[in-house]
This record gives sequence, structure tokens and C-alpha cells, in this order.
Amino acid sequence: MTLSHSSDRSLASIHAKNLLISFNQQILFSAADLHFSQGDVIYLQGDNGSGKSTLMKLLAGLIKPNQGQITSQGFAPKTWWRPSSLLGKAVYLHQHPYLFEGTVKYNLTYALDQRALAPEQRKKRIKQAIHMAQLTDLLNHNASDLSGGERQRLAIARAWIAQPKLLMLDEPISNMDKHSQRLVLAMINQLKQDGTGLLISSHQTCGLTALCQQHWHIKQRTIHTSIHVPQTDDLHDTHTTELHYGTSN
Amino acid sequence: MSDGWLALLQQAFSLLLSFDPHVWAIINISFSVSFAALLITIIPSMMLGFILAFSHFRGRWIVTNLVQTLQSIPTVVIGLLVYLLLTRNGVLGDLKWLFTQKGMILGQILICAPVLIALSQAAFASVDRRAWETSRTLGASWLRAVWTLCRELRGPLLLAIIAAFSRILTEVGCSMMVGGNIMNVTRNIPTAIALETSKGDFAQAIALGLVLLILAVVLNFILGSLRGKALPRSH
Repeated sequence: MTLSHSSDRSLASIHAKNLLISFNQQILFSAADLHFSQGDVIYLQGDNGSGKSTLMKLLAGLIKPNQGQITSQGFAPKTWWRPSSLLGKAVYLHQHPYLFEGTVKYNLTYALDQRALAPEQRKKRIKQAIHMAQLTDLLNHNASDLSGGERQRLAIARAWIAQPKLLMLDEPISNMDKHSQRLVLAMINQLKQDGTGLLISSHQTCGLTALCQQHWHIKQRTIHTSIHVPQTDDLHDTHTTELHYGTSN
Repeated sequence: MSDGWLALLQQAFSLLLSFDPHVWAIINISFSVSFAALLITIIPSMMLGFILAFSHFRGRWIVTNLVQTLQSIPTVVIGLLVYLLLTRNGVLGDLKWLFTQKGMILGQILICAPVLIALSQAAFASVDRRAWETSRTLGASWLRAVWTLCRELRGPLLLAIIAAFSRILTEVGCSMMVGGNIMNVTRNIPTAIALETSKGDFAQAIALGLVLLILAVVLNFILGSLRGKALPRSH
């Protein structure tokens, strides 16, 4: 079941073996062998409640499996204050992103505060991120005043600024207007071009699926992996995507 | 209001406004002891509140129940316990803290900590879990993530601090037993009010009571304005 395509051992990767996740003694899902590397773009499919978010949190180092092993390479070594080397470098983005109390700028620079960057570099990165998310005019606005689409764009820009090696996006374009969908698709495409490994979840096929090269499907409490990615009728037409999500505006 | 009452109020105000050294020494002791107890207690109590809300270690419910029980113990009982600890033959007798401000601080720590732990535990339990996960996944260290949660919960946590401070500033039992009500050393506002009332010196008692009353009004005003902000976020 392994789908590792990264022969370059210097690339960051996560290898999960014999995973088992259960809640209240009920198995949520199991997986024999999963491999997620920089440069991979994986479409994670599954019904609501099948465990997509849980799998992503596992791979991001936020939770631990009941059974099985998750090993990583190409990440900074563990420290006493950071028990998982994945934290900060394998970033998980919630379906409904959490924005901290404060301005758009505060949220955007949150991850930068943990990194030693030269002021010039820092400025440049903020400018790039805000331009990519098209939130320039809102930089000093309160993050709680943003619309759903703007929140999602800010969350992706905030993750991008952290320069993750792997990024897990949980239903990134659900319930979003056309403009925001297009921008988010462009941002994700940019991340793909930068070589960031992407794991994108959705319970149905959408425009994002076109970007993916692998398919993980949680079916009957087992994660099935393949290189065949299910596609929508017109993958490159964002209008199809919009219809799938039934958005207006 | 009778003339007698008006005269007493006048005397009380003049004691405060003329900066009567005895009255202001009492106020100074009261605030310095309570502030010291609060400052020592804040960080460990909030950390424990966070751990109780976020981790699932064995015996968590025992610690939670113990903290809640400690909250309801009368201050005079805590005073008795501290007295027995600090008395010459007590476990901490060698410290010679009985009838000193240090002893009063120790007593107030024991009164203040359970309130802070319980209220901060409730605050941390109410926070959106995504805040913690977002902070950690963006690379924040454990301490930075805790600090981020404190920032997100600044309303409820400030409420907890105010509640704990007003409890220790106004308690009589422990201060009386452990401090001994010694003028210019351990006499604080509540013990002085009790003493002056028993002596019939109502003007000084009213002056000190006014300080607590003004403080109560100010704190309630702050609490009221924070209550709206303390509501959990829905997004």
C-alpha cells in the first residue's frame, strides 16, 4: 500500500505504519502503510465523520495514534519543549480556521515570531503573503471582522509564511464564494510549485482534485491508497467547483 | 441620616483625605500583603488550571475535587491550619513567621490558590481547542502556546484574578489568627475594622470600610465590563 515516490532522502517525509485510531473502543480507521513526502499532492477522500481530520492531525503531530508508528525524516530533531518534530513544519489547517484575537497582521506574523528572520526578510515575506491572499487593505483590521473566504485566505497565508514542508488542508474551499475559491486555488497551486507536500481533504471531488497526484480514501474504516485520482467532469473549470459546493455571490 | 452618622462620615473622610498615618499604614499593609500573595500564586495556579483542563492524567478528578473543596473551606479554618504549622512546635515553626506579614502571605496564598485554579481551569476548559492546535501546528513552543491561550482568554482570566484578589483582601479569619493584628506590622483593613468597631471608634472603621467599598465598586465595574468579553468565541 506504500505510495512513496520520493527517492530523494533529503526531502521531508512522514511514514505511518500499522496505524489504528479508535474512540471509545470503536475503531475509527486503520492504515497499513502511508507515506507523505515533500512534493506529494494527495487527495484525501472520505465521508463526514470518517476520520479525515483525525488523520491529518496525526500526521501533523497534534495527536498520537492508539497503535502504530509515525516516523519522520528531514525535520528538525525533537526538543523537550517540542515533543514532536513535525510541529511547525507539518502544518494542519482546520476546515474552519481559528484566527487569534487581534489584527490580520498579528495573525499573519504569528508563525514568524518563532523564527529568527532578518527584518528585511521578514518584511518581504509578510508583503508576499498578504499580496498572495489579497488582504493588503485589511492588514490592520480585526481578524474577527473578516468574511469566511477572507478567513480561509488569511489562514493559508499564515501557514505559507511559516514555510511548512508539508501542509494539510481540511476542506479548504467548502462554503466559499467564487472569488475566494479562485484565490485559494491559486494559493494552493503556488504552494505546490514551491514543493510543499500537500494533503487536501474533501468529502467530494472538486477543482482541487485536479492538482492531486495521489488518492487516499477512507472507506469502511480503512485507508486505501492509489495513484488514480477521481476527477470532476471539468477539472480546470472553477465554475464546476462552485456548483459542487453550491455557493453564490 | 442623623447628625451623628453625618459626623462619623465626615471624620472618616477627613481621616482618609488628610492621609492619617495610622489609617494609611493599615491600607498599605493590606494591599502589600494581598498583592504579594496574589503575585506568588498567579502563575503556578494558572498553570495547574491549564493542566487540569487540558490533560487527562490519572487522578485528575481527585485534584479537581480537592481544589473545589479547598475553595469552600472557611478562611478561619485555613488560619488555624497555618497557625498550627507556624507555631513554635509546628512543622514550619523554625521559620518564625507567626504574627508576621510572611505568615499572612502564606495564609492568603492558601485562600487565593484554589479560587485561581478553579476559575482558570473553567476558563481553559471553555477555550476553543482549535486555538491550541493552531498555535502548536504553527510551531509555537508549549509555553508560547499556553501564553497564546492566556491572551485569548484574557477576559475570563482577569475575572479569576479579580475574584481571588477580592477574596484575600477582605478575609478576616486567617489574617487575625496568623497576623495577630499588630499595629504597623500585621494590622490590615478587615482586622482593623473588627478591632475599631469593638472599641467603638467607628470613624476609623468607616474610613477603612470606605476603602473596601470604593474598591468593590471599581472591581465590580471592571467585572461587569469584562463579563461580555468573557463569553466564549463562536468561530
